[in-house]
Parts: sequence; C-alpha cells; structure tokens
Amino acid sequence: MANQKYGFIISMERCIGCNACTISCKSYYNLNPSINRRFVREVEETLVGEAKRCHISTACNHCEEPGCAKACPTGAYTKLDNGIVKHNQDRCIGCKMCATACPYGVPQFDPVKKKMDKCSLCVELLEVGEETICMASCPMEAIQVVDLNETETIGLVDRVNGFVNPDITKSTTLFKLPDATHTVRRDL
Amino acid sequence: MGKFSRRDFLKGSAALGALVGVGTGVGSSFKKTKKVSAAGNTKQVFSACPRNCYDTCSIVTTVGDGTIKFITGNKNCTYTNGRLCVKGYTYPNYVYSPDRVKYPMKQEGRGTGKWTRITWDEAFEMIANKIFEIKKEYGSTLPIALNKYSGTFNTLSYGIEGTLSSIGYTTRAQGTPCWPAGIDSQTFDFGTIVNSDPEAMIHSKYILVWGANPAWNSVHSMNILQKAKENGAKVVVIDPILTDTAANADEYIEIKTSTDGALALGMAKYILDHNLHDMDWMRKNSVGYQEYLNYLNNNITLEWASEKTGIPVEVIERLAREYAAAKPACIWIGYGMQRHTNGGAAVRSIDALAAMSGNVGVLGGGANYAQLDSWLVNYSAMAMSPPEGSGGGADRMININNFPAQVLDLNSGDPNKIPIKMLWVAGRNPIAQDPETSVSYKAFDSIDFVVTADLWFNETVAQSDLVLPISSIFETWGVHASYWHYWLHINEPAIDPLYETKCDVEIAMGLSKKMNEMEPGSCTYPTDRTMEEWAAMEISQDFLNSKGMTSYKDLLKTGTAKVEGYDAAWADGVFRTPSGKYEFLSEKCASFGHHALPVYVEAKEVPTDRPIRLLTPHWKYGLHSQFQNLSWMQSVHNEPFVEIHPELAQKKGIADGDMVKVHNHIGFVELRAKHTLTVPKDAVVIYEAWYKDQKFNVNYLVEATPADMGSCATGQAGLAFHDQFVNIDKL
Repeated sequence: MANQKYGFIISMERCIGCNACTISCKSYYNLNPSINRRFVREVEETLVGEAKRCHISTACNHCEEPGCAKACPTGAYTKLDNGIVKHNQDRCIGCKMCATACPYGVPQFDPVKKKMDKCSLCVELLEVGEETICMASCPMEAIQVVDLNETETIGLVDRVNGFVNPDITKSTTLFKLPDATHTVRRDL
Repeated sequence: MGKFSRRDFLKGSAALGALVGVGTGVGSSFKKTKKVSAAGNTKQVFSACPRNCYDTCSIVTTVGDGTIKFITGNKNCTYTNGRLCVKGYTYPNYVYSPDRVKYPMKQEGRGTGKWTRITWDEAFEMIANKIFEIKKEYGSTLPIALNKYSGTFNTLSYGIEGTLSSIGYTTRAQGTPCWPAGIDSQTFDFGTIVNSDPEAMIHSKYILVWGANPAWNSVHSMNILQKAKENGAKVVVIDPILTDTAANADEYIEIKTSTDGALALGMAKYILDHNLHDMDWMRKNSVGYQEYLNYLNNNITLEWASEKTGIPVEVIERLAREYAAAKPACIWIGYGMQRHTNGGAAVRSIDALAAMSGNVGVLGGGANYAQLDSWLVNYSAMAMSPPEGSGGGADRMININNFPAQVLDLNSGDPNKIPIKMLWVAGRNPIAQDPETSVSYKAFDSIDFVVTADLWFNETVAQSDLVLPISSIFETWGVHASYWHYWLHINEPAIDPLYETKCDVEIAMGLSKKMNEMEPGSCTYPTDRTMEEWAAMEISQDFLNSKGMTSYKDLLKTGTAKVEGYDAAWADGVFRTPSGKYEFLSEKCASFGHHALPVYVEAKEVPTDRPIRLLTPHWKYGLHSQFQNLSWMQSVHNEPFVEIHPELAQKKGIADGDMVKVHNHIGFVELRAKHTLTVPKDAVVIYEAWYKDQKFNVNYLVEATPADMGSCATGQAGLAFHDQFVNIDKL
C-alpha cells in the first residue's frame, strides 16, 4: 500500500467531550500522568447556531509543514511519506523548542524522561491493520484515522472557529462540524 | 480501500475500520484469547466495572508480568461494543495509585491524619472487642450501625450487609438517595421497574430523553441514541440544563425545573383532545383510565401546562403531536427529574403519557426508567442469620437520606433511645455524598467508634478510627449486573491483591474467624470458602438454565451473557400490580398518602431570600466521589466550578472565571464561576465530586429534603437533591 497519507477525521457531531480518547491513549502508552497526547477543548457555544455545548478533540495534527520539525535543533522530527509526523525520542534533548513552535501546543515535556512526547498515530498498530487506540476506544466512534489520499472529504472542514488556523502549519486533521440543535429556551 | 464520504460517516460504525487496513480494530489485538503470549507472561482476563452506573461494563484486562497493562471493553457485550467510558479507562491508574489505602490503619484522633499501620489480626480484634463490649452493655448489637450503599455494585459486595447480619441485629441505613421516587411511581403504575432493553432504542422513531444525561452518565446508550438518530429517529431532550446529551440531539426543550409532570399531562391532554390516544390498549391492559382521562378533561389545559413549564403552548402541542404520531416512540425517564418533592408524581404522569399513547409493551417504545429483572443472582454473601440468642429482635432501620440527623437524635442522651455507638462504613463515602455535610461531621463526632472500609483516604475515612484497605475489582472475584441493560458479567481476578487489601467478603470471613476464636458462636459468617466459590454461588440456576450453561465456568468463556426477553418491556401485558393491569388509578399509591391518579403536584416554592435554584447533577469525570481524585483525571480537569448564565452573572457582577461564594442558610461553597448559555437564567449548576486535597463539597449547600415517593419500594422517601436554593456573590 504505497502513498498512504494517514490523518484524523473528527466528528464533532458525535463527540461528547468526554476525554475517553485522552485517557485510553495515556493508559496504552503508559504516559507520565502529567502529560497527554490528545486534547479535548471546549469551543464557542454558538459555533453552529443556537448555543449548545461543543467540543473539539484533537491530537497531533500531523501537519504538512510541521512547526515542531522546523524548530527542533536535533532533527528529532520527521514528516514521513505516510503522512505521520514522527518524533524520535532518542534524538530529543527535551529543549521544548517544538512545544513553542507548535501552534496547537501538542508536544508535551515528560518530566521523568526529560524528553518531549507526542502522538505517534499508533503507527505500529496501523501497520498491522489495527485501529489507533483513540479510534478504537471512543465510546461515540467520533474519531477516525483514514488514508486522506483515498478519502472523499465533502462535508468535512479543516478549520473550526475559535480553534488554531490550520494554514499556519497545514494541519491534516479534518472535522465534521456538529449539526445545529433546535432549542426551545425559557423566556425569563 | 474504498472512498470515504460524509454519507459513510453518517452511517456510523459500519464505515469505521475499513479505511486503515484489513484489521477489525484494536479489539482484535485485545480480544479475549486466554492465550499465553510468546513471551509466556501476558494474559487477558474478563473484569467488570462495579460502579453505580447504567452501563456496568464488561472489561478485557491485559496483564503482563502480573501487572495490568491495558484495559478495554469486552466485544462480546453488544451494549458496549468493546468500548469503555473515560472513567473506566482510568482503572490502571486507580489500581496503581499511590494514594490507595494499603494496610489496616488506626488513627490517633479523628481528622488528625495520624495513622498507624496495624495488622489485620489487630484490626479484627479491635472490631471484635468493640462488638463484644457493646453487646455486653446493651444486650444487643443494635448500637452498631451500617452505612453502605452504591460505591460498589459487585453482587458480592452485599457481603457487607451479610457481615452485620452475621453478628446480630443491627441498625441499618435504609433506602436509596438515588432513584426511589421513580421506583415507587413505576411500582404503582406497572407493579415494578422494568425497562426495555436499551439496545432496542435503535428501533424507535422518536426518543424523548427526559431528565437524563447519557452523554455523561451512560455513554453506550448515548451511542445508541446517536445511531437511532442516524437511522432517522428524532431525539428530543427535555431538561432544565442544555446538557451534552441535548447538544447531540435534534431538539432541546428547556423546562422549568420540577414541572415535568405538567408537561406530561399537557401532552396527554392534547393527545386526548385530538383523538390520538390508544383506547384499545387502555381498555385491554389498564384500570382507572376513565378516571385519568376525566382528570385530563376536567383539570388540564395546554395554557396551564405552558404556564407551569415555561414551554410555549405551540411547542407542547407539537411535541405531543410528534410523540403520538411516531410509532414507536420511546421515553427515557432520567433519575435527575425525580429528585424533587414532586418527582414521583411527575414520573407517574410520564408513565401515563406512554401508556395512553399506546407506547407501552411495543418494541422501540416504553417509559424506560430502570430494571432489576436481570439480577439473576443469589445474594449468597448477604443472606446470613444472626447468632443464636441475639438480642434486639430485628434490625432497626433508619433513613439513609437523613442519616446524620437520625444518628444525632438517637445519640441525644434520651435514655429511651438505643444510641449508635459504632458505625461500619463500606461501599460508601457518606460525608462526601450525604446532604448537610456540617451535620454529617457532628453525627460522626457523636459515635464512639467508626470503622471504614475503602480504597482511598477520603473525607469519611478521615473521620474514622480504623480504616480497612479494600481491593479493587481487578484483585478479586465478582458478579455484576446493570440496572439498565440486561447483561450479566463475571469478574475474575486479573492480579493478586496489592499490599494487604481484601474484598468485603474476605473481611467478613476474617472478622468471623476472629470473633469465633474469642467467643465461639458469636458470628455466623462462613469462613471456609474461596472467593471463586463465593462468586460461583452468586450466579442463579435460573440464569444458567436460561443460557444453557452448566456452571459459572461457562460464563468465564465470554465474560458476559445477556438475559433475554426484554426487547419490549411489558409486551405480554402481564403487569405486576394488584390488578395485573397497568394502573392509571392506583389504590396502593393512595395508601401511601398520594393521589391515586397521576395528578400534578406543585413544585417546591422558591424561597424569596434564596431565589436561585442550585442543581448538583453528576459529573462527567467522576461517579459521585470516585475517579476525579485520580492523577490521570486531574490531567484533564482538576478544579470545581459553578456554571452560571451570563445574564444572571451580569446582574451579580460576576465575570467568567471569578471566584464566587455560593451560599444559603446551611452552608457555603467557594469556587470559580464559569459563564455558559447552557444553564437556566434562574439556576446555577455545580457538579458533585470529590477533588483530592481540596475542600470542595457541594453537599454543604444541600438540605435533606425528602422527595415525595420512595417509601413503598425502598422503605424510605428519596432525596429532593434538585430542590435546593442559594445566593451567589463575587468574592
């Protein structure tokens, strides 16, 4: 399977902001308790019309022009042909330059290893035909990892109001925005 | 590799997994195989979550070198489809948390934190001596009280009740804070609680989620709702709060808190007026329908319902029309909406709406609240006889929902009252969870000896003399059922017990051994069974027969099996009421001091000096006082907050993020304000939780106000947790 380009598609319609993805990932990779590879953030309540609770769940966005890779003084980051931005912890000196450069704040400093840490897109699982941990764990099935070269993206967007502008580093994550919910509110 | 489209995404899980390779998902690598890996030191076992939760998940635990490596859901259970919730995924952190109670310890002065490690033998002797001392002084064990509830719903945890039963007649915290008003309602209407299998919601055309928040409290049902929606069902959420469940629904209706009965009656009136009701069903299956229909005709108008609920007449009309036209239409009655002084009456009105519209007993329909029919277990760890010659005559019941005040009354020095001298707390954190926290502290102060069995040094443990370390579910056996879905799970130990922890039944056996050594015949708890034997005894023959199993070992093969026959509750038309029919008019209900019909009962009046309603629902990162204390959970959230509508906040001069004081006549809480448009303008919302090393406890603000119902089925009325009123000021 040549020329794969892996990337995330997040259904904000399905996401309930529960962080099951964050915690299952943390568990599988036995991360230091203080750091995470996924991030669930609240977004503007009026994102899609009448106010309601809205969340955005992301990990590393495996950018086309990754800021981390540009900033890293030791060349620990590589943008692979399969789309994954790979972090080589052996080369990492924990200088946190990548954390500063990444507009999403993705790379986290592991206080025990004294090195940076971020989402690997579970490449070792993908390679044996398995789902990523976040994808398999999400109780709402809101997370997909797809081959973006083979994926019809109609109805999906690359940007969400209030979230980081994807043009900065050419993020590859795509979103399905929530549908509007018709709300009947009390008139007080 | 096929093309991926939006349509595929909308179809949901059918499209998932096909795009990243040939695998069937991570589940295949974590599928239960029982196979020892090449390394020879990895195994997978079935566990089950014992928390007080709709979803009660079967778990596959991967163990390497005697250590839990990862847990995931059990795909053999179609309800969870191999996925857990955020709380479940924290279990490895829970098990290996350095904060666990590791050894039996005694405290020198309650609340001092001066704990000394002692041996189990010393702990048992301390407890036994206290029991003998009390027996000698009072001639019975009635001065010993048990406060246990829902910290663990492993059916073997009923061994806690068994422990107390095996030493004599004791005082018990009776009832349930959670759901009793609604249980009584359904007991009066249907004869008991039986909900349709939640997996059958997929067949529904119209789903009213009424005062439930599955996005936070039943994520697997939330996924079913999502799929039903994608199948074309309309999902409507009725709630005072625009929850995450409401945010994922087609429509959200904000109802004035505690007026749910008026909406149900208004909808029924519209259905009756427009001849959309199911007269045939009522004639065949119910009693009292004519009286009910007369009540609707004579007492209910849409204008009245609108006035009560704050929902416009045309919206009530549309809801009623849609609900009656969609066949089948399902109602999920949440527990939140019955935690009111009129909550039981409201549930009866909703039951009646489902029944009169012909939605009872049909696939994809129902007035779904809860069930216990799937609990095909023997409660063998619980059923113990008192020792021969025990004094006291019978257990003494005191109200779990006003426990501290009742303890203080018994301990007031009145010579006619048998006091509480010793308290056994297990499977519960009453100081965190009981209302009127200040009174809880006083009640504990009035008791000579408090022993608490727990995993964590929580507030209740802090007010105890002795703490007993409890093993997690991964360190013992269990048999677990849900009060919502119909799966029965077995739980085998994944690892050896850490430190010196024991499960509740092992504690009972240890205490029994010690007591009988000291005074032969003083405790009846059997001491000669392994935990595996206790688990085996728990599974009923009825269950094994229904599944074609010969022993519990068959259940170990899949970890879980479903009790069948509940796709549509009450489909046989055989109700468990005195009449055998659905009872719109219930004499039994009247005999408990309520109206025989599902009439409207006025909501509790808002006090003029405390005009802001306080709602304290469940928190998404915790279950009562569990989970939010864990370091993994702290990494995503670690600060309590109060949700306030920006309009109310503006009136009070409170900016987003300000520290505020929420207060009333019994207490106060200080925390950060969070502006949100998703809460009512006349209420504030604080989620109940235990944050480690933080003073926060919302129950300082909650009065022990009884709900209207609960005493028929559970012995005590419920708690009106959501009829609480406060003021709020910027600090």
